[in-house]
Amino acid sequence: MSTHTATNMKAPQAPIGAAPTPFKVVARVAATIWSNGKARIGIIILGAFILIAIFAPLIAPYGAAENGFPRSTDASPEHWLGTTAAGEDVLSQLLWGSQISIFVGLVAGLLSTVIAVLVGLSWGYVRGFGADVINFIVNLFLVIPGLPLMIVIAAYLSGGGIGMIIVVVVITGWAWGARVLRSQTQSLRSRDFVTAAVFSGERPFRIVFREILPNMTSLIVGNFFGAATAAILAEAGLEYLGLGDTTIVSWGTMLFWAQNSNALLTGQWALLFAPGLCIALLATSLTLINFGVDGISNPRLREGAKK
Amino acid sequence: MTTLLEVLDLSVDYGYGADATHAVRNVSFSLEHGEFVGLVGESGSGKSTLGFALTGLSKPPAHIVGGRIQFGSSDIASLGDADLREQRHGGIAMVLQSGMNALNPVRSIRNHFFDIFKAHGHVSRERWSSRAEELVSKVELPTQVLDRFPGELSGGMRQRVSIALALSLEPKLMVFDEPTTALDVLVQHAVMNTIIELQQKEQFTAILISHDLGIVLESAQRVMVMHEGEIVEDGSAHDILNSPKDDYTRMLLSHYADPRADVVELPGFEDRSVRTAAGKPRAAGATHPPTVSSRSRRTDQKAMVVTNVSKVYPPPRRGESPVTAVDDVSFTLEPGEALALVGASGSGKSTIAKLITAVEKPTSGSIRFGDMDVAGLRRSRFRQLHSDVQMVFQDPYAALNPLHTVEYTLTRPVVNFTGLHGQDARRRVLDLLDTVGLSPVEEFAAKLPHQLSGGQRQRVVIARALASNPQMIIADEPVSMLDVSLRAGVLALLEDLREQWGVSLLYITHDLLSARVVTDNIMVLNQGRVVESGNTADVLRNPQDEYTVRLLDAIPNPGRDVA
Repeated sequence: MSTHTATNMKAPQAPIGAAPTPFKVVARVAATIWSNGKARIGIIILGAFILIAIFAPLIAPYGAAENGFPRSTDASPEHWLGTTAAGEDVLSQLLWGSQISIFVGLVAGLLSTVIAVLVGLSWGYVRGFGADVINFIVNLFLVIPGLPLMIVIAAYLSGGGIGMIIVVVVITGWAWGARVLRSQTQSLRSRDFVTAAVFSGERPFRIVFREILPNMTSLIVGNFFGAATAAILAEAGLEYLGLGDTTIVSWGTMLFWAQNSNALLTGQWALLFAPGLCIALLATSLTLINFGVDGISNPRLREGAKK
Repeated sequence: MTTLLEVLDLSVDYGYGADATHAVRNVSFSLEHGEFVGLVGESGSGKSTLGFALTGLSKPPAHIVGGRIQFGSSDIASLGDADLREQRHGGIAMVLQSGMNALNPVRSIRNHFFDIFKAHGHVSRERWSSRAEELVSKVELPTQVLDRFPGELSGGMRQRVSIALALSLEPKLMVFDEPTTALDVLVQHAVMNTIIELQQKEQFTAILISHDLGIVLESAQRVMVMHEGEIVEDGSAHDILNSPKDDYTRMLLSHYADPRADVVELPGFEDRSVRTAAGKPRAAGATHPPTVSSRSRRTDQKAMVVTNVSKVYPPPRRGESPVTAVDDVSFTLEPGEALALVGASGSGKSTIAKLITAVEKPTSGSIRFGDMDVAGLRRSRFRQLHSDVQMVFQDPYAALNPLHTVEYTLTRPVVNFTGLHGQDARRRVLDLLDTVGLSPVEEFAAKLPHQLSGGQRQRVVIARALASNPQMIIADEPVSMLDVSLRAGVLALLEDLREQWGVSLLYITHDLLSARVVTDNIMVLNQGRVVESGNTADVLRNPQDEYTVRLLDAIPNPGRDVA
């Protein structure tokens, strides 16, 4: 007995800290992303866009659809970026348009991530016939070229506005994420703690979503930012092709109308350049944030970031 | 003899400032030419950190904060990368624990040698092949391995290749960092013998870093014992074994014994036969007897009956023959009995564990637990089996979900199997923690796995296995990942559970000493077949099968060689 207590005492008693609360976990994750220089730039750009979108009604000098101005004018003190062929203020459209791009990006990114998580995790966990069926469906979505599929679906659902765009982007965007999450699930499912959960009498649903899912948070967050980037680009692309509701004001429809009115021929480069740059900047900011997300799950990248 | 290496007042830290961990503290020693020195310590003692510092391989966040490493005319602690590279030829080489995984899978072994020759240019191009052949034969490998790829070689062969690669630069000093820990027992023994012979033939100076005092005492002439970053004892192997001066060394030594001896005693354990004769339990008990409420449910105790079970896996590659993992095995595990299943890796012992927990289905034969047919059990009825048969995993670091608190981990089986909820479930969880000796229970319940030591984690794993109030526990190498000083505590816990809870135990291991201490009966498995079985003490004292003898011989026994 005496030796037994002795061995007990030999065990290094690490100072007992309270279990981290969810708030602390979020704060730590945020701090990790922030500590990466690239991610910091991304967060600042994204934050600026979100602020612009929220406060567009206050910042924008005119309404988005106000078209009583002289048509196709160049930049002037009244209209910093000029006016469109329909007589709208380009700067105001740019500011208002950020709302649509960010909304579509976040919502479509979120939805396709949710589908990717649901499909990817159950696909990775089940074996046998069920997995083959899912495999077939996912492969179907992967082999069909994305843009033509998008165009076909969008043309079919024509005139649906933002909601339709989101549906199209989600349908064409979830498959890659599902595939990546499935691979990670397959590698996690053979871990001892998953087997141990089976021995604890856990049902498969709980094993997948309480034991496995929390261990791939960074992958899911990364997938979300990737999907949001793709959604923003797809939304702009579809609207540029005139497949969305062309009466709303977004960066995509701005490009569409600028192209329609031959803005380049008339020398109004701002009409194409300004929304294009905004789309690129927003997509870049999300990609930059993803560099920081990598550091959450891979401390080695974090170490490198500090040096 | 002349001094080869002199370490003066060396300190290595992880991290900086107030958060820094002092892994190596003011260590000084010197090595003579041709010495074979062992460096022993438990995990976290700083032995590997010291090894990496000596070879100039310290990686951030580890960094040398003070002291000198005088090797020849240079101080390794202050050398730049380019000079270090220069110095590797005829300097210091290192063999890592995972050295066998350090080989590039898409390059043949021959190319690995050529890469080194090319980088250092110390062998003329026309002698490359002959030199490579010479090197592999030094580590007792046939020259044909040069044309193989790493994936085609076994773990032991790959580790030999990495030793040969380390030798290719004609080092004056070789640092072996746990060179055999990741290998199977029998292979371990063979590789260790090669290292010892090689050192005697080639006359290089060697440092053997290991957690296993047995291996070190058996092979090294001089032993340094490291504890919490300091060298607490430095003396000849003979002196360390016979007259250890430090308490820590004595504690380590007390955990070694020969399983073949008539009377085997470990700290906390009296010999089984002596104990049974006197009719007394192991000790005053590391656990509490079960509460009445939790045991009243059990009236019938069931036996696990395995009859003529075989398991054949499909061939790994097309054209190869199927793999027979378990071949016609029969045994019965009576309630309250402890049975050891021993064998080297690949002997089928873990497959048997999978079969009796219904994780895998046998190819033929029957497995019955009471009146339940385990062999044909459907997935939906797993819960029924697992309420009686539970498992303790080998690796306590992998068996706990890093993101769940101890309380969550333990609450789940309690809720699933006993139907308790809310405060009742919590009370039961705290009871379980108390049972496995983790107190204060409230504090441990709130911890996450990374805040616990290896031994504490393994206790949590055992507590989880107990949550369903099982009749049978399968322990798959429960102590092999733990430090020697923690092993006895976990073994004592298992023993107490069996004695006081009446749980039967299937103890799977390659460690015959622990099998001797905690089990009544033993089954020795070789390539899926039972080669020997019977009373544990009898079998180990008078082994009949040649395979059992080999297993026994592979155990490092400090007393045997030094004496």
